[in-house]
Amino acid sequence: MFANVINWIDQRFPLTSFVKHELTGYPTPRNLSYWWNFGFLAGLVLVLQVATGIFLAMHYKADAATAFDSIQHIMRDVNYGWLLRYMHAVGASAFFFVIFVHMARTLYYGSYRAPRELLWWTGQGLLLLLMATAFMGYLLPWGQMSFWGATVITNLFRATPFIGDDVVIWLRGDFTVGDATLTRFFALHYLFPFLIIGAVVIHLVALHTVKSSNPSGIDLAHKDNIPFHPYFTAKDFYGLGIFLIVYSVFVFFMPDSLIEPANNIPANPMQTPNHIVPEWYFLPFYAILRSVPNMVGGVVAMGLSVMMFAFMPFLDRSRIPGGAHYRPIFKLQFYLFMIDMLVLGWVGYVPQTSSTTIIGQIATLCYFGSFFLIPFISRVEERWLIKRGLPQEVMTLIDKEKKEIAERKLKNSQRKGGKA
Amino acid sequence: MNTFLKMALLFGFSLHAVAHEAALEKVSVAKDVPSIERGAETLMGACHSCHSMKYIKYRDLIKFGMDKKKVNEWSGGQSLDLPLLAQMSENDAVLAFGKAPPDLSVMTKARDGGPRYVYSYLIGYYQTKDGLPGNHIYPETKMPDPLGIIGVTDEKQLSEIHGKARDIVSFLAWAADPREEERLRLGYYVLAYLFVLTVLLYFVKNQIWARLDRIS
Repeated sequence: MFANVINWIDQRFPLTSFVKHELTGYPTPRNLSYWWNFGFLAGLVLVLQVATGIFLAMHYKADAATAFDSIQHIMRDVNYGWLLRYMHAVGASAFFFVIFVHMARTLYYGSYRAPRELLWWTGQGLLLLLMATAFMGYLLPWGQMSFWGATVITNLFRATPFIGDDVVIWLRGDFTVGDATLTRFFALHYLFPFLIIGAVVIHLVALHTVKSSNPSGIDLAHKDNIPFHPYFTAKDFYGLGIFLIVYSVFVFFMPDSLIEPANNIPANPMQTPNHIVPEWYFLPFYAILRSVPNMVGGVVAMGLSVMMFAFMPFLDRSRIPGGAHYRPIFKLQFYLFMIDMLVLGWVGYVPQTSSTTIIGQIATLCYFGSFFLIPFISRVEERWLIKRGLPQEVMTLIDKEKKEIAERKLKNSQRKGGKA
Repeated sequence: MNTFLKMALLFGFSLHAVAHEAALEKVSVAKDVPSIERGAETLMGACHSCHSMKYIKYRDLIKFGMDKKKVNEWSGGQSLDLPLLAQMSENDAVLAFGKAPPDLSVMTKARDGGPRYVYSYLIGYYQTKDGLPGNHIYPETKMPDPLGIIGVTDEKQLSEIHGKARDIVSFLAWAADPREEERLRLGYYVLAYLFVLTVLLYFVKNQIWARLDRIS
């Protein structure tokens, strides 16, 4: 009976072949480490956020007069409303944590390099969508930090040339952040996750075209690939268990640790809080914004700091595979960059003083410097490593790649010649 | 001047003022019904005339396990489904003190330091050189010393007032997070379940991956 039903469907829709091609039989390098679990985790957090968010939206009121009250209503009166809200709030942080690890893994192992540039860029687009969604969601509780955070960030759009003031009004729907801003942020906060789901599909299509990279950076021969299911489903679910334990510790035992106390005060346009801080995941970028003394410069620097990752396929000129694995200088640079991110995060968090400003400016220079130096360092490092002697397999791989590129060029020119 | 610049300046100044003036006192928040009920009673006497707790209804207090007769008394015979609104209207309060007294429902969550802040604030009153009341924790406060701690030197009386402050803070902490007990209880079950599940998933993973060694 079941086989008949499947058969009936398969004649009209490629169900079996799709599942076989993309899941059960999808070839995956067998040497993937646990760092490769985080893409799956990001997908799962997205599902959690959408699921809890839909139920929260059933009880939330997007109205400046009642938004704050409705959050308290959810926390106190709605059955398991506190659970939904804490899962959603902690989930936002979890989402960024997982995405940051996912990105750091890509940077460390050089997974952004050919042929995975488009995969990396769709990921960059996902990061931007995620940031926008998180930023708009943060306004909804209508606390002091919500209100002033939104005020400060929408104000940045004044940096738009010529039409800056109009852009800010257009974004807010009013001259200041207010009821109009709240309702539109709510509408968009509900819309964007579905855009993210669409972008995730594109991300996965790109992934399944070029396949996963792996820690060695060497494209493994066919016999070294194993089917995704059951091997990686099992591995991903084990990783999911670990993730859910950490997540639950936050949700049940320290849910307020990531919520700024000032956000438990209803938004008050007449009173600026002592210290406006964004959520932790924006801190490094916020520190870069504050490090540039000029407003337009700060906004451009902040935008660039997020977008710099997209340039990595062009900046990294080394042909040595395996990311940081075979590249000691790149590895050192990676860790220095991570430390720099932490320093920037700290600078973004503490109240600004003259010394933190200077530390922030140095860290900002290091941030951009590490991107701009990669083209030179990667070339010098490659030459040095080849001179020093690489493992034979890596050398053959580089030679093979060189030959392939030459062949492709030859073919291209022949084809063009033939057509002309 | 450009609005952004103004914002940035405001920002800069406000950041400058954030450093805490006084260290916070330590306090252990009580979770038992009698302490919290005592706290509610003290609050009803000392704070409720000006401060609302609009997210708490009188019935919530009874549901939590407080004495029904007492709660009825506090409500003044009104419906138990009404929230704990202040006796003084906000306008009168502004006229009297120059500032609307904040709602206390989520107060212990709304300040850096949480219950410790509120406790230190309540016992932080002292007499300034001009003979006026001052507060170590929040010098700009408009609230008169609610527990009458100014001028008290007697050890016994002082510890009594500290006890009262602790009870109030315990009540406020409960009011800010009435679902805490439910949350923690559920949390232990969830963690226990996840822990067992994860261990099992680990064995499943190992078992499945062991097939690979047999093949190659």
